[in-house]
This record gives sequence, structure tokens and C-alpha cells, in this order.
Amino acid sequence: MSDVTMTPTSPSNGASNRTSPLQWVRVNLFSSVSNTIQTIVFTAITLGLLRALLGQAFSEEADWTSVSTNLRLLMIYNYPADQIIRIWVSAAVVLLAAGLSLGAWKVEPGYTVGRLGRHLVGLGLFSLVTRLLLPVHAPDTVRTWLIIIGVVSLVAGVVVQRGDPDGDRVMGFGTVLSGVALTFLAVLWLVPFGQYGLVDGVLVAESGTTVASSTKVPWTVLLIIVVASHRVGIILGRALGRSLRAALAAFWVVGPAFVIFVILRDPAFDWAHVWSTDIPIAAMFGLGGAAVLYFVAAPGKTEVARAVGAMLFAFALFNWVAAFFGWYPMLQKVRISFLIFAIVVLLVPAFAGDRSTRRRVAGGWVAAMVVFHWLLTAINTESTLVITAPPFLGGFVLTVGIAYYVMLASFPLGVLLSLARTSKLPIFRVMSTGYIEVIRGVPLITVLFFFSIMLPLFLPKGMGISDLAAVFAGYTVFSAAYMAENVRGGLQSVRRGQYEAADALGLTTVQRTSLIVLPQALRVSIPNLVGQAIAVFKETSLIAIVGGFDLLRIANSTIPNQPDFLGQKRPGLLFISLVYFVFAYSMSKSSQRLEARLKDAQAR
Amino acid sequence: MSIADQALTEDLASRDDMIVCTGVSKWFDDFQALKGVDVTVKDREVMVVLGPSGSGKSTLIRCINRLEVHQEGSIFVDGIELTNDTRNIERIRSEVGMVFQQFNLFPHLSVIDNVTLAPVWVRKKSKVEAEQKAIELLERVGIPEQAQKYPGQLSGGQQQRVAIARSLAMEPKIMLFDEPTSALDPEMIAEVLDVMKDLARGGMTMMVVTHEMGFAREVADRLVFMESGEVVEVGTPEHFFTNPREDRTKLFLSQIL
Amino acid sequence: MSQTSSSSAIHYGTTKPPLWRNVAVLKWCAQLAVLLGVLAVFWFLIAEARTNLAAKSIPVGYDWLDNPANFQLGEGIQTVDTPERSLTMSRALWVGMVNTLRIAALGIIFSTLLGVLVGISRLSKNFVAQRFSSAYVEGLRNIPVLVQIILWLAILGSLGKLTPDTGPIPGWVIVSQKGISLPRVFLADGFYQFAALMLVFVVGIVAVRRQLKRRQDRDGGDLRIGLWTFVLFVISAAIAWLINPIMAFLGPIFGAIEDAWGAVPQGAMQLLLCVIAVVGVITWIRKFLDSKRSPAGLAKLTDDDWFRMIFSVFVGVVAVFVVVRGWPGLSSWIINSGSDFWGVLGDKFGDGRGAKPLDAMRPTLTEGRFVNFGDTGLTLTVFYASIFLGLVFYTSAFIAEVVRGGILAVPSGQSEAAAALGLTRAQALRKVVLPQAFRVIMPPLGNQYLNITKNTSLGIAVGFSEIVQVGQTVYNKNSQTLAVFSIYMIFYLSCSLSISSVVNTINRRLAIVER
Repeated sequence: MSDVTMTPTSPSNGASNRTSPLQWVRVNLFSSVSNTIQTIVFTAITLGLLRALLGQAFSEEADWTSVSTNLRLLMIYNYPADQIIRIWVSAAVVLLAAGLSLGAWKVEPGYTVGRLGRHLVGLGLFSLVTRLLLPVHAPDTVRTWLIIIGVVSLVAGVVVQRGDPDGDRVMGFGTVLSGVALTFLAVLWLVPFGQYGLVDGVLVAESGTTVASSTKVPWTVLLIIVVASHRVGIILGRALGRSLRAALAAFWVVGPAFVIFVILRDPAFDWAHVWSTDIPIAAMFGLGGAAVLYFVAAPGKTEVARAVGAMLFAFALFNWVAAFFGWYPMLQKVRISFLIFAIVVLLVPAFAGDRSTRRRVAGGWVAAMVVFHWLLTAINTESTLVITAPPFLGGFVLTVGIAYYVMLASFPLGVLLSLARTSKLPIFRVMSTGYIEVIRGVPLITVLFFFSIMLPLFLPKGMGISDLAAVFAGYTVFSAAYMAENVRGGLQSVRRGQYEAADALGLTTVQRTSLIVLPQALRVSIPNLVGQAIAVFKETSLIAIVGGFDLLRIANSTIPNQPDFLGQKRPGLLFISLVYFVFAYSMSKSSQRLEARLKDAQAR
Repeated sequence: MSIADQALTEDLASRDDMIVCTGVSKWFDDFQALKGVDVTVKDREVMVVLGPSGSGKSTLIRCINRLEVHQEGSIFVDGIELTNDTRNIERIRSEVGMVFQQFNLFPHLSVIDNVTLAPVWVRKKSKVEAEQKAIELLERVGIPEQAQKYPGQLSGGQQQRVAIARSLAMEPKIMLFDEPTSALDPEMIAEVLDVMKDLARGGMTMMVVTHEMGFAREVADRLVFMESGEVVEVGTPEHFFTNPREDRTKLFLSQIL
Repeated sequence: MSQTSSSSAIHYGTTKPPLWRNVAVLKWCAQLAVLLGVLAVFWFLIAEARTNLAAKSIPVGYDWLDNPANFQLGEGIQTVDTPERSLTMSRALWVGMVNTLRIAALGIIFSTLLGVLVGISRLSKNFVAQRFSSAYVEGLRNIPVLVQIILWLAILGSLGKLTPDTGPIPGWVIVSQKGISLPRVFLADGFYQFAALMLVFVVGIVAVRRQLKRRQDRDGGDLRIGLWTFVLFVISAAIAWLINPIMAFLGPIFGAIEDAWGAVPQGAMQLLLCVIAVVGVITWIRKFLDSKRSPAGLAKLTDDDWFRMIFSVFVGVVAVFVVVRGWPGLSSWIINSGSDFWGVLGDKFGDGRGAKPLDAMRPTLTEGRFVNFGDTGLTLTVFYASIFLGLVFYTSAFIAEVVRGGILAVPSGQSEAAAALGLTRAQALRKVVLPQAFRVIMPPLGNQYLNITKNTSLGIAVGFSEIVQVGQTVYNKNSQTLAVFSIYMIFYLSCSLSISSVVNTINRRLAIVER
């Protein structure tokens, strides 16, 4: 392969309408002998592989109804059928926030009409080629649909491309979003998905019971919500700007936890207990803490704050020791609250200021305490959800949920570790380096096994942890080490002069880190962090090995064990491959776009 | 010694000490960067530090606000000794402003945020008050119209002027300049030097490391010549440029002029 | 003119700050507090684990390693108890490690080949080549490797049944739902003698080569050093092939070393370890002080420097304490494993070994399955094949990106300069672009090799007997989870360390070449 370009020039994408197709073919495919050979060889490989893949997908035994029938299982696993409305409502809340965020941050992919046309032509050609390569066992409906899709998109593509000969008509993101939603709706309402469905584990063969039909209306509502909220996000973003973005960011941090507890679990509070214990404790910490913080956040109280903080810290630690030896009873959440309070008091002098700053510090504390105590209470409360078949959590929801929370939880841990690793303090550096290198040296699966098997062994008597929580903890510990390395790359890109300027201005170490160093470092490491998010998302599949019912486990063992679909592995596995691919690929594409945008911003 | 020199010396002697370095030594591993340096800067004095590269002049002024830690001797700034004491370090840093060769503006913050950052977080001023002061300072250094831009959008000279405004926002008693014009294109040097001259006329105590001899001759009250970590000679500009005492000083001046 | 004015009222002298405001003291107190906190948490957890294990009456330790395994392995260098060699727990774990390393090594080789090909063709000007390799990379790297492995298993499991005339080439190349089998070449009994003899010969060849080179440099002319080296090498390989059994005398020597090593008293070993710790600390402090020493005398030490030295002394004391009191088993473990190492080496030269260093075999079948061990070809079971294919394809997509990035990182001016000098495209690529690209490629490539090694652990999902799967079988049998996990950790960490040290060495070489 001597024909190698040294520069990142992509071949002209078959797009410039100035040249005729014939010319294009001659220039790009048969310009020289080696080029011709490459064209022939790679075409043969491509067709051969496509044929083999289709052979696997539509082999003699393949039964794709195993997938279409089990879609609900793949999405939400054994979630009680009569309470599915909770899932829909949570999805609606999340999608609403997603639409608003896309609008508020003015995400613009810069998709042109010309490119849409090209993609449609590509899709059409691909469908027709696929139709030709289909093995004999493929069902007739597939053949028909491939021809329909091929012809329609080919024609549509050519027409669309005519409308934008120069390839410079940019489509707004709203248009793209609406287009995708409309296509999805058309598929949902027009394509007959089949007449079978599993209802509570029984295969029902009558019309109108397919999963698709039961989801038509909710999906329609969801898609309308996304498109509308994107529009609203743009308008609100113009009016409110930064405060809307701050509110959305806050939602993405705590919102999903609320979604779980409000909608998925719906905690059955024991109101007598809540009034007698939970609310007084929360009020005590919220208001008492706010008063103390308001006092120590005044200028010139640095040493007082440090002394108070150190005493509180010692007291908070002593509480844990006392609890361990059983000297006096104290609620777990009181102990945790004391610890958090002590840490906040130690940190607050760095953010001291005038009256409005002090008010904001105190207000922030009260808000954090309300959320925190509500969550703690909710976690420790029975759920109203009637669970018939434990474990009920699984499928795509589990995959996405675990990936999201692992990223969220490992982020602060990773930032702390990276700060310790780049710190000048030798013991911190050695400890952090040891942690990071050991974790990065071992495979994820051993960490997951370790946590799911060993964690219960390490805990004191009477303290238990659920399987999924143990796996989650292990995954977080693992991911934090990689997170730390990604953030460290960003930290190293911050120049020494920035530290010196901050020092010379008299900023404290905490202020220097949080106001100067981290904002710059994190911005640099965003592309790597997205890369890690993709890796975390893909590796959730390992949960299948340690006992979680994620997509892979369902496709690989649950469906093939159903009496109706014995041994049907390949359709399910191919389907989940597609699901993983669509999500990971779109994440990586958007990260590339983000990277380009950040580069522009830096060159500014 | 001329009459004018004598008058200046007497005037200086009557003022308070702002920076007093006594026997300051500093090692970088086995390399001794400062060898028992004794320097005193008086109130409202402009002292220019000269010397070939590697002579320890930058290290000296970086020791004064503890960007480097001196290992021997003592440094007093406005009567406060620079030791491991956190309180002393905080007080000295908020009284001493510093301007760097590479500007070191914070690229993720707009110009106005660069200037108001320290007053808000260190001096605990209100945001409104700090912004008023910042606009005033930006007017003083001649670029009020750039307040909302980001450092990356400014020229080198403008950036350095913002950096000076940022230091002044802390209302320092002393300003340290570490080769403030060395990283600038020739046509931008004048605008920065003008701002520094203004400052000197306004009675700011300044310690300046620079190679700009014109500036040294016009503005400095006294010059210090350093070589290989030692103070070789201290004197008025007139003394220096007409009749230096030490051979090493003569050699250096003949090379640079 | 005086430099310091004496008229000032300030009293000059060094004031000592109070401890609670001293930066150095605060820094070290914070560090020590966190360190002690972490140690306390660990101590607490381990104490809990001990109590919990004692409650279940599970002993802590590694004594179980010599117990018989009482289970079969799926595949590997030994799968069942045999009369010659019993399958102990440690042997089973060893078989797992070898399986892991086999997959990792093969995976590294093949994914590199494939990845380089795809990476280069992604830069091709040809539309089809470029599009195909983009699709290859994006498709394979965005699907989880575990899904790919399991998909491969499903696909391989749907292949035809294994019968004596299955093939593409029956008897030689067999592809079936039981796996893939090829003729293989393997290291036979005589290999170790052969290798030892070759070592001796190579020393001789190097000496001859140096002599020739010196003569050539002195007298000029072409002495065909490369050709002579090659000829000598072939001749000595042929000789070594024939006479290698003479090296059997090494067996007893290694045996003697084994005995001598095993005879070291435990007290002596403890003393030695203590001495190493103490000498290490003293050397560190001396080096540290040396780095602060200048021609003008010792620099004044800061509080920070003192804390550093005190801490290193503390580490030394802890090390001595661990050796003497905390973990007395350590020294006997070092003695035993050292002597075992020499014993294993001695066995390789022991009785009945010798003759052919290499041998070859064709695939053999019994009762509709492959013969796993011994007289058979190179058999990839479906488990082996699925994890191998999954890993190779997945990783090759990443390697392709690494290669592409490396080539793109070479500035286009370089190839233009090469063209200006009159080099052809191929020459420019080989002599100018690739060497520079290599330096960019090496570090991330090393990372991918580490990933392959770690990802072999996914074999557990398809039941391939690699170390994690064998370890799991072991602790399911005897509940020695803690010990098994420590073995996992040591194994993977030493793999990571050796791969990264190889990569680092190559990197350093390349950097020197560049200068």
C-alpha cells in the first residue's frame, strides 16, 4: 500500500456536484494501477464481509421475533408491567431536561442539506446492495422493505442534493431533531412490527399486543417533548442565559437521583417518623450549620474557622469510632452530616466575602442539606413499587443508569486523586500514584469480583450492601483511577505561571485550585473525559458476568432460555451490538465536534 | 559623588524601609542562586535590578513574595518578616503586587474578571465595588474598552497592562516587576514602560528587573547590579552610567550599552 | 554608601512562627493525618475480614497452594491429574497464567498486524479503502469487546460438527464447532539444552564479529560481516541441534544451587532484608544530602527537607518491623520461592531430556473431539478462538487509530523535504516518516498491549481457563478469596510492569536514535 497521503486530506467525498459521477469515479477509484487494485481488493473484502454478516443475521435458524418480542425485556427487564408509567414519566423528565439543555447550550452540529442528501444516497445504495447480498433464508418482508427503503432514500437523496448544489445550506439543530423525530414516528406508526408479544412471561399471539403497539402513544409524546423542549430551551436560553444553564447543570447532577426516588421507587415515608426525627435533624443541621457558616464566612475569620473546623472534624471522626465500639447510639445520617459539615467549615474561609457572599454560602448549605437529607431518608425508606420478580432492575435502563452514576461518582474522586498526584506533597503523591497505578494495572472484572465477593467480608457485622451497590462501588473505584489520569493530563497543561500569578495575588491554595487551575484543566480534558464516558458505557457489559441483568446478559442467556426461542443468541447479540454502537458512536462524534469547538474557542 | 547624589542619599536615608534583605541565600539543589544578598528598598523608591542572565535577580524578587523560599538570611517587607508563618505570608502577598515576564493572565476569565478576582476573593470586597475600581484601573493603564474581552484576544502590550492593573487592584504598597517587557514586540514596549513611569511618579515603591537602560536611567532612584548571586554594586543612575566603581559593572555596561 | 540603613527601628532577627501557623508543619501534619487515616481504614477492614473469616473458620494464608486441585481445566499445558505430575492448586493457577499469556502474546502480534494495515489504508487516497477502514474502525471500537467475544462464540458454536473428514483440508486444517485445529510446531524436551548451547555459541559469534569488524575498520574493504554472522549462526544451530544433550550437566548444577539456596537459614535472610532496608534508607539520605551540597558547602536545609529525611527513616523502621515482627513468613517465602525457581530450571535439564529441541504435530481427533494435550496439532477451542478473535478485532481498531494518528503527527514538511532530496514516496515513508511516527505511536501502542493483556480476563465469560477463571474455580472450592485476589493482583501488575518497561526501553532507544 504505497499510496498513502501524508496529510489529513480526505478524499473529495463524492460530493462536489461540479464533477460528473463518471469523472468522480475515474479520479477517486481508478486514477492509477495501485488505486485500481485497491478499489478491487477493498470492494471484494467489503462485499464479502457484508455477505458474511448478513449470513449470520439471517441464517437458517435465526428468528428475529426473539428480539422484537423481547424488546421490553431488553429495555427495562422485569419491571412490573402495571407500573410502567413510572418509567415513561422518568424518561419524559430526562428527555425534557435533555431538550432544554441542547437548546440552552445552543448545540449546532452544522449539518448541511447537501450532506443529508449524500447520506440518503448512501443509505439507498447500501440498502439495495444489502438486498442483493441477502442469504436465501431471509424473510420476504425484509427483502421488500430493503427495496422500498433503498429506492425511496435514493430518490429523496438525489432530490435533496439538488436543493443544495454548493453544500452550504446549514440545517438548524431543531430541524434535524424534528426530522429524526418524524422519521422515528413514521417507522413506529407505519411499519407493522409483528403480532406477538410476551405479557408477563407468556407468549401471546394476537394482534394489538406487541410491545411496539403498546409504546406508540408514549413514544409519540416523548418525541414531541424533546422537539418542543429544545425550542423552549433556545428561547429561555436567550432570556435567562447563565442562570438557566446553571439550573440545568444542577439537574444533571442531582436530578437522576430524584427521578429514581420520586418516580421509580416512590418512597413510602413513615410520616410520624419523618416529623419526629428526619425533619428536626435536617432543620438542625440546615439552620444551625447555616448560622455557623454565616458567621465564619466573614472576612478575617480564617483562623477561627480553621479552629472550629478542626474541632468539628475531630468530633465527627470520634463519632465513627464511638459508633464502631458502640459507646453511644447515633444515627448514621447524623454522623455523615457532621463529617460533611466539618469539611465544609474547613473549606469555607477560602470563599469568605461580604454580606451577599455569606448569604449565598449559608443558603447553598441549607439547600444542599435539604436535598441530602431527603435523599438519605428516601434511600432508607421502603418503596411503594410492587416487585414481583427480583431483580427487577435490568436491561438498557440498568446499563445507562450504571454508566451515568459511575461517571458522576468517580468524577470528584478522580479530580481529588489527580490533584494529589500532581501535588508537591510527597506522601499524597505516593499514595495517589500507588492507587492509580494498581487499579490501572488490573482488569475491571477482577475489581468487580473483588467488590461483589470481598466487600461483604470487610464490612462489620450488621452492615450489608446489595450486590448491585457493591458492583457500583467497585466500578466507581476503578473508573476514578482512569478519570484521575485524564484530569492529570489537563492539570499538566496548566502552565506554572498560572500558579505563580495566583500565589502572587494572595489566593489561598483552595482558591487557586478551584478558581484558576481546575477550570482550565477540566476544559482541556473534556475530550478525554467523553472518551472515558464511552468506555464506561461499553464496559457496563461486564456487569453481566458478576450477575447483573444488563443488555448482554438478557440477550445472551435470558432470551435463549425462553422455551419459544431456545438457543436464539445471534439475533439478540447483533441487536444489542447495534444499540451499543449507536450510542457509543454518537457520543464519540459529538465529542469530536466539541473538541473542534473548544479549539476554536482557544484560538479566539 | 555629586551633590545631587548626596541629596538623594540623604533623602532616602530619612525614609522608612519597605524591603530589607539581609544575607539572603538560596540554593536550587547544589546550585547556589543567591549568596548572602543584602538589599534595602526605601518607601516610594524605584529600584532597578540589573545583571546578566542567571545572576539571580529574578530569584531575588521572587523570594520577596515567596514564590521561591529563601533558605538563609532574613527578608522583611514593611516590617513583617517572611517566614513559614502562614499569616505573614498572606499579609505580605496581599501587600506586594507582581508583574511577570509572560503576563500570566488567567485565560479562562475575561479582562474584568482577571482584575476583580483577587479583590473579591482575597480582600473580600463586593463584586460591584471591585468592578468600579477595576474600570478605574483599566482607564489608568489606557484600555477601558477591552474589559469584556478575553486575554487571548489582546496584544502582548495590552495583556501586560492588564496584568499591571490586576496587581494594582489589590492596592499593593510595593510592586515587583520581573522583566516586564522582555516578552514583548519592540513596538509594544513603550506603552508598558509609560504605565510603569506613571506608577513611579505616583510614588509607588517598585523593584524592577529589566534590561531597558533608558527606563533605568530616567526613572530609577537607585540601581543594583548583581552577578552570580551576589550584589556587586549599588548606586544612583548617574553614578552607574558615568563612573561605576567595579570592573564587573563596567564590563556588563559596556556589553549592554 | 551603606546598603542597609541602621536608622530603622525594626529589630532584625529571625522570628519563629508558632507551630499551628508554620507552613511546613501544617503540610506534613496534613499528610501524616491522611496517611494514618488511610492506614487506619485498611487496618479496620482487614481486622473485620479476619474476624469474619475466623467466624467461618477459613484459614488465612497460602498453605492451600500445594493441595490437589480436584477439578479439571478446560485447556492448557496440563488439564488433569497425570501420574507424572499431579494437578495442585498452584499448578492449576500456573496453567491459567500460561493460558492468559498465550492469548495475550498472540493477540498482541495479530492485532498489531491487522491494526497497522487498517491504519495505513485509512490514509489511502482510494475512496473504497478509506471508507472501508473507517467503517471497520468505527464499527469495531464502538461495540463492547465482551459483546464481540460472546458474538464470536455464538457464531463459532453454529459451525458444522466435528468429524474425521471435517476440513477445509481434512487432517491438516479443521474448522468446526469444537474449534479450529492446525498443525503445530512446539518446544520439545531438548529445547532447554539447545537454548543453553546456543547461548554459548552466540557469545562466540559476537566475539568473532567484533574481531572482523575491527579488521575491516583497520584495513578497509568489505569482509561481508553480515553474511559470515549468518553462516556461523546457521552452522552453530545445526551443531547445537545434534549435540545438545551434552548440556545436561547443567541440571545437577542448578540442583546444587537449589539446595544451597534452600539451606539459607531464616534468621540470615531476615538479617539480610533488614540490612537492605537500613542501607537503602542511608543511601537515600546520603544522595539527598549530596544533591543539596554545593562547592560552597551544604545548603541550609528547609523544614521540608528535614521532614523528608525523618519520613524516610520512618519508612525504614517500618520495613524492619515488618520483616522481623509483622510478617516473619516473608523471608522464608523468599527462600522457598528462590529455591523453587532453581529447582524448576534444574528439572528442564533433568533426566530423559535432550535430543530434538523442536517437534511438529498434525491435528488428531478422538471420539468427535480434539485431543487437548500431548500428541496433537495447534488447537484453538471455540472458547480460545472466540476470545482471541474478539480481542484481536477490537484492539486492532484502536491500534489502527494509533497508527493513523502517529503518521498524521509527522508534519507534512518532512515528506516534502524528503521529496525535495529526491527520495521516492516509498523511501520517504520508510526512512523519514515512519521513524518519526514510531515515536508518537509507541506509548499509546503500549497502552493497547496492556489492554489486551487485561482484557484476556474476559475469557471468564466464555469459560476459557485463563487466570481469573481458574482463580474463581479455586476460591469457589476453598473460599480463599483474599489469597486468590492477591495472586491476581501480583500477576497482572507484573504483566503491566514488564510490558511498560519493554515499551519504555524501545522509546528510550528511539529517542537516542533521534539525537
